[in-house]
Amino acid sequence: MALEHEFICPLPSGIHARPASALEEVVRHFTAEVTLLNRRTQRVANGKSILAMVGTDIRQGDACVFTVSGPDEREAMAVLTSFLRDKFPHCDAPLTVTKIEAAAPLSPCLRDAGATVYRGQPVVPGIGRGRAVRFGKFSIPPSLPRNSVTDPEKEWRPLEAALKKLNATYDHRLGNAKGIEAALLKVHQSIARDVDFRDSLRTAVSARQRTAAGAIEEAEAHFSKMLAASGNALLRERALDIQDVCLQLLREIYGDAAKSAEVRLTADAVVVAESLTPGQFLALDRKFLKGLVLASAGGTSHTVILARSFNIPTLAGVTDLAVIQFGEQEIVVDADAGALVTNLTDAARRYYTLEERRITGRLLRLEKSSARDAATADGQRIEIAANISTAGEAAAAFASGAEGIGLFRTEMLFLDRPAPPDEQEQFESYQAVLAAANGKPVVIRTLDVGGDKPLAYLNLPAEENPFLGRRAVRIYPEFETLFRTQIRALVRASAGGKLSVMIPMIATVDEARWVKTIVAEEQKKCVAEKIEFDPAMSVGAMIEVPAAALAVAALSRELDFFSIGSNDLLQYFMAADRMNPQLAALSNPLQPAFLRLLKLIADAARAQKKEISLCGEMGGQVRFLPLLAGLSLDKISAAAPAVAGLKAELSRLNQKTCRQLLDAALNCATADEVSALLEQFSAQLSVPLVEAELVMIDSDATTKEEAIKQAVDRLFILGRTDNSQAVEDAVWRREATYSTGFGYGFAIPHCQANAVRFNSLVLLKPKSPVAWNSLDGQPVRVVILLAIRAGQAGTTHMQVLAKLARKIMDDDFRAELEQEKDPARLCAVLEKIF
Amino acid sequence: MKFVAVTACPTGIAHTYMAAAQLEKTAKKLGHTIKVETQGAMGIENELSQAEVDAADAVILATDIAIEQEDRFSRARKIQVPVQAALKDPEAIFAQLK
Repeated sequence: MALEHEFICPLPSGIHARPASALEEVVRHFTAEVTLLNRRTQRVANGKSILAMVGTDIRQGDACVFTVSGPDEREAMAVLTSFLRDKFPHCDAPLTVTKIEAAAPLSPCLRDAGATVYRGQPVVPGIGRGRAVRFGKFSIPPSLPRNSVTDPEKEWRPLEAALKKLNATYDHRLGNAKGIEAALLKVHQSIARDVDFRDSLRTAVSARQRTAAGAIEEAEAHFSKMLAASGNALLRERALDIQDVCLQLLREIYGDAAKSAEVRLTADAVVVAESLTPGQFLALDRKFLKGLVLASAGGTSHTVILARSFNIPTLAGVTDLAVIQFGEQEIVVDADAGALVTNLTDAARRYYTLEERRITGRLLRLEKSSARDAATADGQRIEIAANISTAGEAAAAFASGAEGIGLFRTEMLFLDRPAPPDEQEQFESYQAVLAAANGKPVVIRTLDVGGDKPLAYLNLPAEENPFLGRRAVRIYPEFETLFRTQIRALVRASAGGKLSVMIPMIATVDEARWVKTIVAEEQKKCVAEKIEFDPAMSVGAMIEVPAAALAVAALSRELDFFSIGSNDLLQYFMAADRMNPQLAALSNPLQPAFLRLLKLIADAARAQKKEISLCGEMGGQVRFLPLLAGLSLDKISAAAPAVAGLKAELSRLNQKTCRQLLDAALNCATADEVSALLEQFSAQLSVPLVEAELVMIDSDATTKEEAIKQAVDRLFILGRTDNSQAVEDAVWRREATYSTGFGYGFAIPHCQANAVRFNSLVLLKPKSPVAWNSLDGQPVRVVILLAIRAGQAGTTHMQVLAKLARKIMDDDFRAELEQEKDPARLCAVLEKIF
Repeated sequence: MKFVAVTACPTGIAHTYMAAAQLEKTAKKLGHTIKVETQGAMGIENELSQAEVDAADAVILATDIAIEQEDRFSRARKIQVPVQAALKDPEAIFAQLK
């Protein structure tokens, strides 16, 4: 006799994949048949099929009935009802609460352009425009036959085996995964073992004589359609999970033949993908890759690191990405504004033409300064080098002003392949970087894998705590041949330039000694074999394990240089997982204790007369540069696109004041105090209020919106703000109280905002007068934009601006401003009143 | 006539000072004397004493925000206008206080 249990769905997101898989797990092991009925939709599902349960579209508040019938029905029902009562209401708690920063308001120019705008999280800044290309969209290669199987049983066997194998693979991978990745794998696994999924494959083969490929295609279409029809965004996204499982099944059965036509970019493209592996990213033709839109990506995932170093604008976290229909249209990924823009209009295109001008303007300006040697204003040299992950990036890094390669991560050579690269392949890669360096120094880091970056061919078992486990130098003795091959390739390459070898994860002197022995032995072999190499090649260590930070003196007897790996050092020192956004406050390099550690390392290295550099993410942020300059580092290495900005900023700094800043920071009690100190420091950098480049004659702005944008963009180009959106927004908020067009053909838009780095005055004269909703209703011929930092009350600049505001009511002064056409002379007219 | 005035706009960067200049210019043109206090990003400047306020024939408050020490003007003959009015048609303000 069947047993029934009625319940009301308590889950805010209804029964989507995760709750369904929890239910399935409860009833799976009973022999009794279990069905689930949604009274609202009158749909009935097999309680052992996640997909079927999801298909009943159960939402919060829906009345539902579980029916259990079979030999062990009593037991099953008891377990099920207690689960529904105790655990079910909490089974869909959010996994991690990722802090989503409120998206900045869009520029009015874009907001009113009539295009469709989706918001997302900027991951790599910049703007890319191109045809939308969906990556990893499910498709079965046309070469695979779909129909007319003569022996269905024979066709079914490999399919069944593949399902089994896939399940085992998931089990294995689940052992290593945590958080969101584990949750995702669980969903995939539950699909792979879903009874309805299996039945639909089976029926397609046996009843309709479909091939395995045909059956997979049919099942994919059926379940995707079912999920897509649901009103729940969470469910619609699950369609991608089904595709993923189907793709893996295909690969399992057909091997390489299942590879759908590789995504080949043939024109400027914006690639849209649920996720992208580093290997997939590298396979894309970067000549055409103008932007990336990912459903999810952590800030330090390897794909993101790659995208950053190739300067590919990247946006993540676009809601409902899976269901946006792009077709083949041109789209814009705007990772500056945090927007994905489709259905482009003329106004939107014009906006992005202005944006292009803004961005290239800044690049051109940075290029000018990047040709110079990096040094502070008072002449202290600090080498600004670039971090790269592939040899191919070297040329671009040097072109953007890098004075060396401060970190060549060699992992990429080893990842995503069935066997390690041989000596010759490595040698060629290292040599290529040295050739591009043309005599400039190159630091190549030996393989940092294991733990969080597993290599299939090393066969390392999963660890509880991969970041604290066997990685980098810790696995070299076990894989000595692998390490020796790399060292030998490096020794050989050393003949071709100024090469240094850096060892990751050094914690003890013993490790350093062991490495040095191997290097010496390989060098000796080269001597014997009459192979050319540089005997002066230096060997150094990453300082990323806190123990090494306190062993610099002892390590100095073995090693030639040190480079602080700030990412790992910070996470190990603060005992805070850097991938966990909830620990962001701890993973803050401005923690005073961390700064004290950096000081200790830098001082110890200097005392030993060893070169000391920093090559972590901290080095790439202009904001932190005064502190790093205060540490008197010899070198800072950062992602290539950051190099020019760092050099420009460095030239504004003074070594002595930076040291004083650092001293003050070391005495702070909290990271917030340090942050405030940095703010204050940056505010005191003396930069004039107006310069000739802030005078814009004959602007092609046709509207008030464009005039304001162009004036603010000029501040961005000149490095007077790093966030033009925020400044523009502040100007518009002021404009909302009443128009700043005060008559006589003049307007004086202004704002006070944290995003302004240096107080600035922009003078802009449009070619033809622009409507401004002015007091006298007349269009505007002269725009004077004042951008002021927050908290400037009573400063000299404010005094000057007060004078200017008074002066501007003077007819003669306005006439002078209006008649003069030469930027330098206009600048002089303005300066006269200061 | 003898006037005193206060100007104060929301950000205190531009219009406070523009309005002050405009009032001074217009007063001169109309043959009046005026002292204008500004309350802007520079704080209070050209501050009006109670004696100066008391000696004035009328007070012009060209303000968009609440001002400091407003009680100085509690007994005075005064007119309150938006800052914009002082920029757009200052003569009309003086005309109202004739």
